[in-house]
Amino acid sequence: MPNTTAPSLASAALPVAMRGIRTCFGAACIHEDLDLDVRPGEILALVGASGCGKSVLLREMILLAHPTAGRVLLFGEEAQDLDESGANRLRRRIGITFQHGALFNSLTVAENIAVPLKEQTRLPAKRIRDIAMLKLLLVGLPPDAATKYPSQLSGGMHKRAALARALAMDPDLLVLDEPGTGLDPVGAGALDDLILGLQDALGLTVVMSTHDLDSLWRVAHRVAFLGRRRILATGTPAELSAREEPELMAFFQGPRGAARSRAWNRA
Amino acid sequence: MPPLRSESRHKVAGQGPGILDRGADYRWSPDQRTLHLGGCWTTPTLAHLGELPVMPGPGARTETETGTETGTGTGTGQVSGYPAWLTLDGSLLLALDTAGALQLHRLVEALEAQGSAVQLSGFAAPHLGLLALVRERLAAAAEDLAALRPAATPPVLARVGQGAWERLREGLGLLSFLGETALAFLHVVAHPRRLRWRQMLQVVELDGWRALPVLGMLSFLVGVVIAYQSGVQLRLYGGNLYVVDLVTLTVLRELGPLMTAIVVAGRSGSAYAAQIGTMMVTDEIDALRSIGVSPLELLVLPKALGLILALPLLTVFANLAAVVGGMVMSALMLDLVPGTFIRRIPEAVSLNTLMTGLAKAPVFAAAIALVGCYQGFLVRDGADSVGRHTTTSVVQAIVWVIVIDAAFSVVYSKLGI
Repeated sequence: MPNTTAPSLASAALPVAMRGIRTCFGAACIHEDLDLDVRPGEILALVGASGCGKSVLLREMILLAHPTAGRVLLFGEEAQDLDESGANRLRRRIGITFQHGALFNSLTVAENIAVPLKEQTRLPAKRIRDIAMLKLLLVGLPPDAATKYPSQLSGGMHKRAALARALAMDPDLLVLDEPGTGLDPVGAGALDDLILGLQDALGLTVVMSTHDLDSLWRVAHRVAFLGRRRILATGTPAELSAREEPELMAFFQGPRGAARSRAWNRA
Repeated sequence: MPPLRSESRHKVAGQGPGILDRGADYRWSPDQRTLHLGGCWTTPTLAHLGELPVMPGPGARTETETGTETGTGTGTGQVSGYPAWLTLDGSLLLALDTAGALQLHRLVEALEAQGSAVQLSGFAAPHLGLLALVRERLAAAAEDLAALRPAATPPVLARVGQGAWERLREGLGLLSFLGETALAFLHVVAHPRRLRWRQMLQVVELDGWRALPVLGMLSFLVGVVIAYQSGVQLRLYGGNLYVVDLVTLTVLRELGPLMTAIVVAGRSGSAYAAQIGTMMVTDEIDALRSIGVSPLELLVLPKALGLILALPLLTVFANLAAVVGGMVMSALMLDLVPGTFIRRIPEAVSLNTLMTGLAKAPVFAAAIALVGCYQGFLVRDGADSVGRHTTTSVVQAIVWVIVIDAAFSVVYSKLGI
């Protein structure tokens, strides 16, 4: 199942293909000659040490930042060639949650979910409310959360509301930046289940950056390990945990990683 | 681990991107017992669908073979007489997402409400799965959804009462904030080493020194305007020299301190509110408290004391600029040479006049700093709250400045100054 053959661009249906990405801030380069493919219908976890440029890579994927050099292809289209309206057309097919939720504080949860629908479609207001409520239910929030403001939500509900907004336009690709951060293990586990369930039910492609080893083992079909300024290795969690590179050893066989790897490999 | 799928289940692959832009539509079969759904039932393409499908009128062509779309529902067509048994055919459906599935679910509901028994046929398994998911979620939450009431807008009287109560509470809050700050001040007086000299001097620099250019220009122009307006009148009576009295009196007693306070309220009061408000949002105020630093001592007192020090100095400068402005205008319009103007000043005003004006400045300064900081502390969760309270801080500071100015006038007149 894991496919590590030389990357080709022939498969236009790849949701994301990044080629020769180079990202520099001044003299400091965090990505150099980086290649990454995301396949349709998979959950790809992006892992790596803090500050290795996971979030930056995700931002380049969703056209919020541009790499210094290299090509980004979304659904087979060259992102560099797109004008603003073309980029917006692609962005409609991508749902995003940010590390800190980034819900609009002055709007209720239902209004937050309705924002993309109002801006991007000509659906009547009543239908938008109906759809927003459905998304709320899909992410497992109770209906009375609709009228609450983000500040009134718990951490877990906040993440779910952000996920509901990301799903508002029924995207093909869902990009999650550290979805489980700041949640207790139970809440993080429930969020993992939710992501798995939604991915299965809606046929989504999911890219998520994560630090959480449990969530990595539980959710990810494939893991891309970011190290030495490129994708050091990709494969299933089990495969990567058996690799010999020092960075991967440290991640999977370090004090925290080893117990998880043993437990999940046994399971 | 769930198996990898080679492609998304619900969107049709391999047909180019254009296919997804084909709008959702439906058409009736010739016998009007089957409704064929077609196109993509996805979020961007649903907008034109009405709640109920439009029945083709009598004699309307319903040739599905030629692809004539007689039944593309655009809302308010002829909506009546649905057959008792109706089949929804999904075999021509290109794509379905959750919004489309919801639309489909609502369509079935609406048809059933019209008395038709609806049967689904020909749908692809993933489409049925999605519809089932939507129905299951809606059914599971049915009770809660029914119990959900839109928040009723309270009646006018209730809103008036609520507004008044909030204003009152805010007023009381300001009063208790004044008290707390006064206590903090006394504490600092008792322990002078705790005063944050650095922060205070920073305030004098940022809110005093840096305000000089804008304040100087405004005051100069105000002086010009006063001289011009009174000059026009005085010239009629040949009392050109009295323009000096008018300019110096109004500026030293009233306009100098007032203008300065208003400029500073707009420049600095708003900045205090925004700074403290942003710190509230990012929990920095709580962080200060947790370290054992009183935000009043670190943020409010230096601002208040610094401004109390700076505002009288600014006022002196503003007075000077305004008098110079009046002098320039008098020279140009009334041929009153500056020498005459300056010699007249001691006869028009005394040191007392200057002091009555300057005495107001520290009080204005305290009001501006306190209102600004207080509004900052009222900020809760979020960017727009910061904006609202910043605006309020400027408005309230200016209101307070003018109210205090009026109070000073009353007191001065009682004292006969």
